[in-house]
Amino acid sequence: MKAQIIKTGIIVFPGTNCDLDTKRACEFFGWETDFIWHDETSLNKYDVVFLPGGFSYGDYIRAGRLARFSPVVMALSDYVNKKRGFLIGICNGFQILCEAKLLPGILSVNDNTKFICEEADLLFENKEITLPIAHGEGRYIADEKTLQEIKSKKMDFLKYKNNPNGSAKDIAGLWDKENNIIGIMPHPERAIFAETGNIDGRAFFEMIEAAIKGKLLSTGKI
Amino acid sequence: MKKYKADIIVTLKKGVRDPQGTAVDTVLKRTGLEENAEVKVGKFFALSVSGNNELDARNKLNKICEDVLSNPVLESYEVERFLEE
Repeated sequence: MKAQIIKTGIIVFPGTNCDLDTKRACEFFGWETDFIWHDETSLNKYDVVFLPGGFSYGDYIRAGRLARFSPVVMALSDYVNKKRGFLIGICNGFQILCEAKLLPGILSVNDNTKFICEEADLLFENKEITLPIAHGEGRYIADEKTLQEIKSKKMDFLKYKNNPNGSAKDIAGLWDKENNIIGIMPHPERAIFAETGNIDGRAFFEMIEAAIKGKLLSTGKI
Repeated sequence: MKKYKADIIVTLKKGVRDPQGTAVDTVLKRTGLEENAEVKVGKFFALSVSGNNELDARNKLNKICEDVLSNPVLESYEVERFLEE
């Protein structure tokens, strides 16, 4: 059994600003990383693809709306349908995934109308962790039926302890029902290195690493 | 091919909480200008659409509104003006 290096693609739009943080976080875990420009359409060599945080296309019209029509996001549907790897949207990436209907529901303006930039206390798979949040449109909204499905299929792996933005059911992070896609509003990639004063983000990347290894094992790649 | 000018207003659907509207409401109340203004904050778009005829252009406009300018989960849109250029 040979060790398989995890191949990571990090998508960059005009206005993305967390691409480098995401790259450094992935490299901390020994993953290989490539930046992917938004007009790229072939993603199949990647075990995991990140839509990092930022303000893609200036958040014009609303957050994530225009990014949804870029060639790379169109190609993501194919990547997901083939169940090739994991797709992870952080912050603006989560907004794009919802706009592209790859995750259910939508993210709208925070309850208090402010851009919130602070450390948020969270429940991550029943453990208490703290992660930085930085968003103006982070209030998760979905209809009752969707919220029930999220609860019954345990898709909400991350919840706010003191809901800062008014999200339905305190939802801060979400798997899709097939467990291939993740949307997460807080920034785990900003809480990896001890110098930043917070290493709680490592738990999130460890969860992804375990999921990828599980997938590679089941497909006979390692 | 004919060209039409259209004005579109996108607002949050009824029942979706509008924190920006509530903030403006609070200001109107505080300044004594209006007690219950029930402000809704939305977006305005002015654009041109082409089509073989009016129906054709209107169909295209509806698609633009549904796919790009609004998200039906959250928002609804109204065509405020539709005139041949």
